[in-house]
Amino acid sequence: MAGSNDKDGAAHDGTTQRARIIIVAGQSSQRTREVLYTLRGFTNVIWPPSLEATRAQTGSKDVACLVIADDLHEEPIDEFLQEARGLQRNLPIFVITDPDDVAEAVSAMRHGATAVIEIPPSYAALREEVARAIQ
Amino acid sequence: MMKDLPQTVYVVDDDDAVRDSLRLLLKSAGLACEVSGAAQEFLASYDPAQPGCLVLDVRMPGMSGLEMQHELNLRGATLPVIFITGHGDIPMAVEAMQHGAFDFLQKPFRDQELLDRVQRALIRDTENRVRLRHTDRIKERLATLSPREREVLDLVTQGKANKMVAGDLGVSQRTVEIHRAHVMQKMEAGSLAELVRMMMAVAPRP
Repeated sequence: MAGSNDKDGAAHDGTTQRARIIIVAGQSSQRTREVLYTLRGFTNVIWPPSLEATRAQTGSKDVACLVIADDLHEEPIDEFLQEARGLQRNLPIFVITDPDDVAEAVSAMRHGATAVIEIPPSYAALREEVARAIQ
Repeated sequence: MMKDLPQTVYVVDDDDAVRDSLRLLLKSAGLACEVSGAAQEFLASYDPAQPGCLVLDVRMPGMSGLEMQHELNLRGATLPVIFITGHGDIPMAVEAMQHGAFDFLQKPFRDQELLDRVQRALIRDTENRVRLRHTDRIKERLATLSPREREVLDLVTQGKANKMVAGDLGVSQRTVEIHRAHVMQKMEAGSLAELVRMMMAVAPRP
């Protein structure tokens, strides 16, 4: 079967892969996880099990964008953002954050986020942002 | 060397009480301050040569703060903008930051919070202006190059050796060497690395 994906949605049959998304899982809510997983119907999604694995994936050339979920394994989002931005200067990075936490959203934008999406993220809003990013 | 003008903190807010309190606060911190009650009023007297920063209310009758930011961007303004709002939400903050806002602060805020941000914005403005002056000087030097010298410059800063440049341009290697020497002299570059840095400084940003 051509183009088969593993359980995380990553193609592994040697064919040309579609642009991938990396999702930093952390302690995201069930609702957030559900919305993020729905993106698998749209593009490949990889959900690394740790920040170390995420860092390794983020440096890869076939990464289309990075989505940072609401809780980043208790690490400061701003520092990770700067680090990710250092790995790929033009990589679109989306941060999912608490609703109405304007200060956190502003801080994320200052540290390199492309956009900030409120919890609970709507599938339409996230898909629109991602589609724009990977074009 | 051109002497810098003193920096001014501009405040644009339709609320008289907010304008007055911000003026007092900024003056108490030793900062020069000018206030306006409407976006149009500020834009009518705005002088891009005047260094400083802008404290801008988001919601105002007539032109909003975000619309005014857009207008400033169209004019090529580099003035750092600190938005203040009593009704901020994430989409609004994201929009402001995506369009180049320096910061976005929700009312009520502590005096020191604003002063810290203003100080950082003033530092940013100084850095921006130094960078702009530097790129202007490079552009002035670039304008003195002949078309052939410019071609040589473009090729050598792509990493091509004189021999390759000569082949690309259909001239002798000696001719390239002469053009290259002129380029280095006119650009006031001490090395190829410095020349590359100059070209990177004036290259359009992605």
